[in-house]
Amino acid sequence: MRTMKLTGQVVALAAVAGLLGLLIWRLTHQSKPPKIGGPAPAFSLKRVDASGTLDLASLRGKPVVLNFWASWCVPCKGEAKMLEQASREYRSQGVVFLGVDFHDVTGDARKFLEHHGVTYPTVQDGSGSVADRYGVSAVPETYFIDRSGRLVGEHIMGTVVDAKDAFRRGVEAALTS
Amino acid sequence: MIFRAGAVVAVALAFAGPAAACAHPRTSLSYLEGQVMCPTCHTTLDQSDSSAAHRIEAFIQTRIDQCATADQIKSELVANFGAGILAAPPHKGFDLLAWWLPLGGLAAGALLLGFGVWRWSRARTPEDAPPPVDDETERRLDELLARLD
Repeated sequence: MRTMKLTGQVVALAAVAGLLGLLIWRLTHQSKPPKIGGPAPAFSLKRVDASGTLDLASLRGKPVVLNFWASWCVPCKGEAKMLEQASREYRSQGVVFLGVDFHDVTGDARKFLEHHGVTYPTVQDGSGSVADRYGVSAVPETYFIDRSGRLVGEHIMGTVVDAKDAFRRGVEAALTS
Repeated sequence: MIFRAGAVVAVALAFAGPAAACAHPRTSLSYLEGQVMCPTCHTTLDQSDSSAAHRIEAFIQTRIDQCATADQIKSELVANFGAGILAAPPHKGFDLLAWWLPLGGLAAGALLLGFGVWRWSRARTPEDAPPPVDDETERRLDELLARLD
């Protein structure tokens, strides 16, 4: 009888410890934006605009403008034109614009790209796992990555149209650092 | 006469068109809305009014119109959004735990409860039982009962 009581206590203690572990894991794995100046979280995602995948590591050595968007996001429509124009403007300096389509239906994303004449590469983050690692809470959001793969400039939360100065500074920081 | 019969068939086909086009019973948006999550608001589609949810609903309706089955639509959504798009985890692999763990917990709880009740009832029996009667008292009781007879 005493052994059974002891077993019960051990099982109850293990259950409580397990639940506590889950709580701690959840608290420590909550998404938060990566630090500016730190390495850009790595990813490899399926392309929306073409076949195959694109690995962020393959862009090492080039400044990157990373824009999170979705076709269902109304503000994203408002900034698509400016991003496309900027990508053409900075293309000659080696800046790569990369769209990350977030929680979206592939067909809708392709229609969006076609409708807004987006020519730079776009990848799909359907599950939102990459957006989580970048601490993206609502699209659009934009990051700038320098040639060594570090995040630079400002993390723009909202449209680049509403943050034109921060956008220019971000691209310059990615180019010069 | 042939022309009239042909016209009747054409009208009947026009009205029966979309329903008859599928080789199997059509699934419905309302059926799938409760089984698919809105990825941005973390509720099922039928509980969400977000733009993302509306786009997914539109996708589902398009696929239903194209005669896709519920399983096909769910597979396509999983391929697009990952397994987290489904409200219930699939019945395979590690996800099976999500189905069996609550049942195991219930069974373990029932066992524990049964064991507790059994122990409680056994522990109470000696306390509730009347104390044993000694020989002298029993003899006096017999005498009293004999007088009453």
